[in-house]
Amino acid sequence: MRIITHTCADCGTVVSANELERRRVMKCPRFDCEAILRFDDLSDEEREFFLDNRDQYHL
Amino acid sequence: MKGVVLSGGTGSRLRPITHTGPKQLVPVANKPVLQYAIEDLRDAGITDIGVVLGNKGRDEIQEFLGDGSAFGVDITYIVQGNPLGLAHAAGCARSFVGDDDFVMYLGDNLLKQGIEDLVESYREGSYDAGISLQRVSNPEAFGIATLDENGNVERLIEKPDEPESDLALIGIYVFSNRVFDVIEELDPSWRGELEITDAIQGLIDRGCAVDSHVVEGWWKDTGRPEDIVEANRLILEDLSTETNGTVEAGAEVRGAVDLHESSRIESGAVVRGPVSIARGTTVASGSYVGPYTSIGKSSTVDGAHVENSVVVGDSTISADVKIVDSLLGRGTAIESADGYLPEGQRLVVGENSDLKL
Repeated sequence: MRIITHTCADCGTVVSANELERRRVMKCPRFDCEAILRFDDLSDEEREFFLDNRDQYHL
Repeated sequence: MKGVVLSGGTGSRLRPITHTGPKQLVPVANKPVLQYAIEDLRDAGITDIGVVLGNKGRDEIQEFLGDGSAFGVDITYIVQGNPLGLAHAAGCARSFVGDDDFVMYLGDNLLKQGIEDLVESYREGSYDAGISLQRVSNPEAFGIATLDENGNVERLIEKPDEPESDLALIGIYVFSNRVFDVIEELDPSWRGELEITDAIQGLIDRGCAVDSHVVEGWWKDTGRPEDIVEANRLILEDLSTETNGTVEAGAEVRGAVDLHESSRIESGAVVRGPVSIARGTTVASGSYVGPYTSIGKSSTVDGAHVENSVVVGDSTISADVKIVDSLLGRGTAIESADGYLPEGQRLVVGENSDLKL
């Protein structure tokens, strides 16, 4: 299964695509980082792949 | 080499304790389970550690670990979100691990002897994985490994009906980054998860060498309340005496008692180690604290008998009762019902609690 993640440019925290897709726009989950992360931060190809296969990313 | 500590999961088997926090922060001998994993990695020379967070307890775990500097390590957080399996959690760490090898450590596991032998054994050979194993009496309940004459892993079978060995996988692994390519090709199991046993078997099927390391000391998965009590006993068995707090004249203290400098054992109290008592706690006159007990911070035992138990902290036990083999969550009050009418016990019990009165 392809696992897609995004890394916060400010602090290095790694966030999985399922988390980004669920929230679409979110504060970086690291406690001391104020960066904003978006599902749109993923590449077009990654977003398309995730959305085409979203069922496998949900229990 | 890097470390990846898995700190997700719902902790459902540890309810009600985990209604208010993640299972990895439940204390054993007054230290959160997760801290033992971080210290094992650090002691093996691994200080660049990724902590994988699930949907529960993210803030609490970050509040406890911070950036890792308090523990002599550097921590990067990895948010897995949905619990899609151990191999999915590992896969989320791919960009963090990069070209390194890594140790994957389940954050609710405890290992007496640490991981230095496992890491050293892996480094001495040309392996793509190393797994920890322990002999068990009920192999049909575990993932079981079959080894060749050199100790290399030939195959893994999850909960076999007819086990080929009694060597069960436990929650500490070493991987090269080749495992990520295998994980990319895995399909979810019948339960919808990417299984780490499938990833390891995938490495074997590709001709990769997988090292095994049989753990001789104890290993504990702290998933259930009785596991926490048992793990507490195992840790306290190795406790050395460190009585820094106040022991009043007339108190009876025997054995190894780790008493925080701000805590007190009052005259007329009896404490028989091994016992751990955290900061700001008082054992008052007429109390008995028996072997294999840990009492968390800011608690009071006043007239009660507590033995082979874990009191998480901020608690008061003042009833004339005998408490054994118990796990008491934070902020618990067990007080006398004497003087209340009508007579009887008065309980405020959370969901999924388990009382034997």
